[in-house]
Amino acid sequence: MLEEALRHFINPYYIQVLTLLGIYIVAAIGLHLITGVTGQLSFGHAAFLGIGAYTAAICTMQLGVPYLLALLAAGVMAALAGVLVGFPSLRLTGDYLGIATLGFGEIVRVIFTNLEITGGARGLAGIPRKTDIVIVYLAVVLTIWAVYRLQKSRYGRALAAVREDEIAAECMGVNSLWYKVSAFAIGSFIAGVAGGLYAHFLQYLNPVDFGFARSFEILTFVVLGGLGSLPGVILGTTVLGLAPEILRFGAVYRMMLYGVLMVLVMIFRPQGLLGGLNLAQVWRRIVRGGRPRVPAA
Amino acid sequence: MLHKHRLFTLVLVLLLVAAILGGCGGGQTQSAAETIKIGFLGAQTGGHASYGIETLKGMQMAVEDINAAGGLLGKQVEIIVEDHGSKHSEAASVTQKLITQGAVAIIGDPTTGITKLAAPIAQGAGVVLLSAGAVGEGVVEFGDYIYRDTLLDRVAVPVVTKYLAEELGWKKVVVITSKNNDYSVSQTALFKKALADNGIEIVAEQSIQDGDQNFSAQVTAISQKEFDGIVFTGYYTEGGLFMKEVRSQGLKQVLVGGDGLLSPVLWEMGGEATEGSMVFTGFAADPERATGKTLEFIKKYQEKNGGKLPDMFSAQGYDAVMLIADAIKKAESADPAKFKEALRETKDWQGVTGTITFGPDREPIKSPVYLLEVKNQQFAVKAVLDVK
Repeated sequence: MLEEALRHFINPYYIQVLTLLGIYIVAAIGLHLITGVTGQLSFGHAAFLGIGAYTAAICTMQLGVPYLLALLAAGVMAALAGVLVGFPSLRLTGDYLGIATLGFGEIVRVIFTNLEITGGARGLAGIPRKTDIVIVYLAVVLTIWAVYRLQKSRYGRALAAVREDEIAAECMGVNSLWYKVSAFAIGSFIAGVAGGLYAHFLQYLNPVDFGFARSFEILTFVVLGGLGSLPGVILGTTVLGLAPEILRFGAVYRMMLYGVLMVLVMIFRPQGLLGGLNLAQVWRRIVRGGRPRVPAA
Repeated sequence: MLHKHRLFTLVLVLLLVAAILGGCGGGQTQSAAETIKIGFLGAQTGGHASYGIETLKGMQMAVEDINAAGGLLGKQVEIIVEDHGSKHSEAASVTQKLITQGAVAIIGDPTTGITKLAAPIAQGAGVVLLSAGAVGEGVVEFGDYIYRDTLLDRVAVPVVTKYLAEELGWKKVVVITSKNNDYSVSQTALFKKALADNGIEIVAEQSIQDGDQNFSAQVTAISQKEFDGIVFTGYYTEGGLFMKEVRSQGLKQVLVGGDGLLSPVLWEMGGEATEGSMVFTGFAADPERATGKTLEFIKKYQEKNGGKLPDMFSAQGYDAVMLIADAIKKAESADPAKFKEALRETKDWQGVTGTITFGPDREPIKSPVYLLEVKNQQFAVKAVLDVK
C-alpha cells in the first residue's frame, strides 16, 4: 500500500505521530463546528470520539463490517448521541450547557467501563489495524473541505448568526433549535469518524482515553488556534498535538513546558493564534506585494 | 472562487509545516551500532509514574552490572528512555520511537493496558517486548515477541487461597470487587474458583468502584454475616478506606488481596485499621531472609537510594533486562528474531525475584509467592509460598 512506500522515505515514528495528529485534526474540526462556529460550549467531545471508536471497533471485530462502512457507522452513532446532547442546548446556554455536556461525557465513559461488549475496564484489544496515514489525511482534507463549504453556505451563516445573537437570529427567521441540534449532530459525526480512525490505528481502546481530560485537550486545540477560525483550529491542533513530542528534550519537565506554551499564547494572543484574522485578506495582501496588516488584538 | 483556492493553499502549507515540525522533533540518535539498545517504555510523569520510575531504576542497575562485566557479545548495553506520561495515545508513539531508534528489546509497560497497546507494534516490527509489570489476561497472546516476567494472579491466587484454608483455617469469606477496575474484576474470578477448590464458602459479595470514598453501605451489608476474612481485589486507596469503615463498624476480620494493595497509601488511608491486612506479591525485599542474588540486589539498591528498600517494580525491571541479556548470550545474537527463541526456552532461571520459567504458552511461572502482612505500618513478610 501507499503507506508501505512512504515508510521508505519517512521514519515510522514520524508517520505514527503525524497520523495521530491527523486524527486529532478531524476530531477538533468537529468541535470547531459546535463551539467555534455555533458557539455551543461542549466539554464532552471525547465522548463522541469514544462512541465512534467503540462502534467502529465492534462493527469490524464482531460483525465483520468492512472498514469504511464501520467508519460511517461510527459517525452515525456519534451523530445520534450528538442529537441527544443537542436538545438540552435549547434551554441551556454557555457554562450551563458546558456542565451538561461534561455530565454526558462522564456518563458515556462509565457506560464503556461497565459494558461487556466494550471489554469494560480491561479495554478492547485486538482491533485490526486498518487506518494508515493516507486514509487519515484523505479524511482531513475531506473534512476541511466539507466544513469550509458548510461555513460559507446559508446554513453556515445561520450557525454564525445563532452564535452572535440568538434572539436576533430568531427574529430573522432562523430556527435556532434546529441549527444548534444539527450542528451538534454534524460535529459529533465528524468526531465519530475520527474515533473510528483512532480505534483502527491504535488497535486498543480503554475508557480512560475518552474521559474529561481528552475532551478538554480537544477544546484547548480549538481555543488556542482561535475560536471560529478553521485554519486556526488546524494550526492549534498541530502546535499542541506535536508539542508533547517536540518538547521531549525537556524530559520530565515536558508537560510543564506545554503548559507554559499555552499560558504564553493566551497572554499574547487571547483570541487564539489565528482568531479574528481573515486569512484570505492577509494572503491577498501578501500576494499583491502590499504589507500585510494584522488587525490589533 | 479565487480566494477559496488560496485558502486551500494555505491549509496545505500548514500541513507541510506540521510535517516539518514533526521532522525536527524526532532527534534520532545515530550512535554507532557498537551498543545493544534496550528501550524503556513507561511513565515518568502522570498517574503511573511511580511504577515506571522504579522499573527504570532496576533496569539501570542491571545494565551497569552487565557493562561492568564486559557487556554483551563484546558490546556495551544502552537504555533508551522515553516518557509517555501515562497516556495511551502517546505510548503508541513512544513504542514506535524506541523501535526506530534501534531498540532490540523493549522493557515495559508496567501496566497491562499500555502493554496491550504496544504489543501489536512491537510484534509487527519484530522487536521483543517484555513487560515487567503487566499481570492482566491476554498479553502474550499478541505474538511470539511478547513476554512478561510478572507473578500472574492465576499462579498466585490458588497458592494463597490454599494457605488461607490450610494454615489460617478460613472457612467463610466475603469478596469485595471494584467493578470499574479490570485488575480487580479478573482477580475476583480467579479467587472464586480457588476458594471453591479449597472448600471456602463465599457468604457475601459486594461491589465498589475505584474512586469511592464511602463504603458504609457495603460494610453494613457484610456485617450481617459471619465470616473469617475479607478477600479484597481492588487497589490500595479503596482498600485502606474500606478497612477503616470495617473497624469503625466493629468488625475484627482482616483483609487479603493482591499487589494492587501494595503501597504505603494503604495504611496512610486506613491507619490502624489496616494492621494485619495481607497482600501477596511476586517480590518483597527482606534483607534478613534474602540470599544470593536477591540480597546483592537489595544491598546495591539501598546504597544508591539512601537505604530505601527496592519494590517489586525495580526488581522485576532488573530481572527483565537480565532475562534479555541471558537470551542474547545464549543465542549469540542480538537479533530479536533469534534471541526470542532463546528467551522462550527460559527454564528455572534464577533472578532476583525468584525462579522464572516460561511455560508452553510463553506465560511466566514464578516461584515463590510472597505473602506480606501489615505490621506497625510496615509490610512484613508473613509467608513465602512455593509454587509447584
